[in-house]
Amino acid sequence: MDALRSKVEELLKSGEIAGFLGMRLVHQHPYPHLFTLKDIDLLSTLTIGDVRYPLAKIILDIARAYRDAKLGIMVRGCDESALFELFKNFQLDPEKVVTLGVACPAEQGEKCQCPRPNPLNMIAGEKREVVADRSDLKKIEEMGENERYQYWMSQFGKCIKCYGCRNICPVCFCEVCTLEHESLIQRGEIPPEVPNFHLVRAFHMAGRCVDCGLCEETCPARIPLRTLYRKVREIVKTHFDYLPGQDSESVPPLQLLGDGSFEISEK
Amino acid sequence: MEEKRAFEPRIVAFCCNWCSYAGADLAGGMRLKYVPNILPIRVMCSGRISPHFILKAFQKGADGVLVTGCHIGDCHYMKGNYITAKRVAILRDLLGFVGINPERLKLEWIAGSEGEKFARVANEFTEQIRKLGPSPVPDIPYNA
Repeated sequence: MDALRSKVEELLKSGEIAGFLGMRLVHQHPYPHLFTLKDIDLLSTLTIGDVRYPLAKIILDIARAYRDAKLGIMVRGCDESALFELFKNFQLDPEKVVTLGVACPAEQGEKCQCPRPNPLNMIAGEKREVVADRSDLKKIEEMGENERYQYWMSQFGKCIKCYGCRNICPVCFCEVCTLEHESLIQRGEIPPEVPNFHLVRAFHMAGRCVDCGLCEETCPARIPLRTLYRKVREIVKTHFDYLPGQDSESVPPLQLLGDGSFEISEK
Repeated sequence: MEEKRAFEPRIVAFCCNWCSYAGADLAGGMRLKYVPNILPIRVMCSGRISPHFILKAFQKGADGVLVTGCHIGDCHYMKGNYITAKRVAILRDLLGFVGINPERLKLEWIAGSEGEKFARVANEFTEQIRKLGPSPVPDIPYNA
């Protein structure tokens, strides 16, 4: 923590970054906060905390408002993965972002079933091993087609259309959203069109979802969204050998037109 | 009281302006006979077919969706059909995972000169959907 604090102070004072997006303890609760040179005293309240916010998404908003500013950001493994996807999709300029990595404690990693706990530039925390667990997917794959169908439709039927999954998603960066398109999703209906609404969102996670799990954490109806998006990750991995959030160089296969490397056999 | 009729598949076919729609047109021009279950929707390029269109078709009661475009390499916009191929591949697997038979979604490349192929694909796909039976989607109780 002290290492992180002094690094931020150094970056701000040297003028290398105009602001640092981290977490601040307010009334014993951590909140996202943009630390600047002007309120540098607040650095004493800088914390890592045990709750997650979509910091990558918040920095995207700030960067859009201040296009020339170079910003620092505290990243957990998941935040960094999301940043990679934002870089690759030309939403953020990697030259204008300085990341300071923190590794989550083991119990949090377990709670999140974290697929990538160790950010690159690690300032605080300890490196951990990843435990891959696909028991949730396996459970569904073992069901028969009809049982699977009934299961998912009853899950989607719980939706109250709060858009929480989309709003918290760090890789949902579009400024116009197809889920709000009136002729594609009927307005004023709860639950929203089953299964159209959820399958569209799931599709849009293809080649983007970094499996941070914030969607499922935030869902008030407790729909197992993460299981669905994990499957989408697997599908993309199988077809295109691409797993989002691993690095900032590879080309996402669904980027418009792609690199043309994918051919399907003629029938 | 409504009489219970034999199942007739309803199929939405997305056709690109430059190849497959021309192919469908040619099928008509050649006076080829094919099933009346196909509802063609013309789009400028198969790359314009958002997965949302396909899912909306299923939502609105389509028993099958046929996506057609120019052959790889023939796209009027050079690479529009590359992304179509990728999208359909992913969407089929996703449908399977939520218990909707992926065979209900089919991708075919049909050139402007392939009127005969369009008719054949329409017939074959309709038969395939007839075997699968009606789509379960319209019976979902949550939808108004």
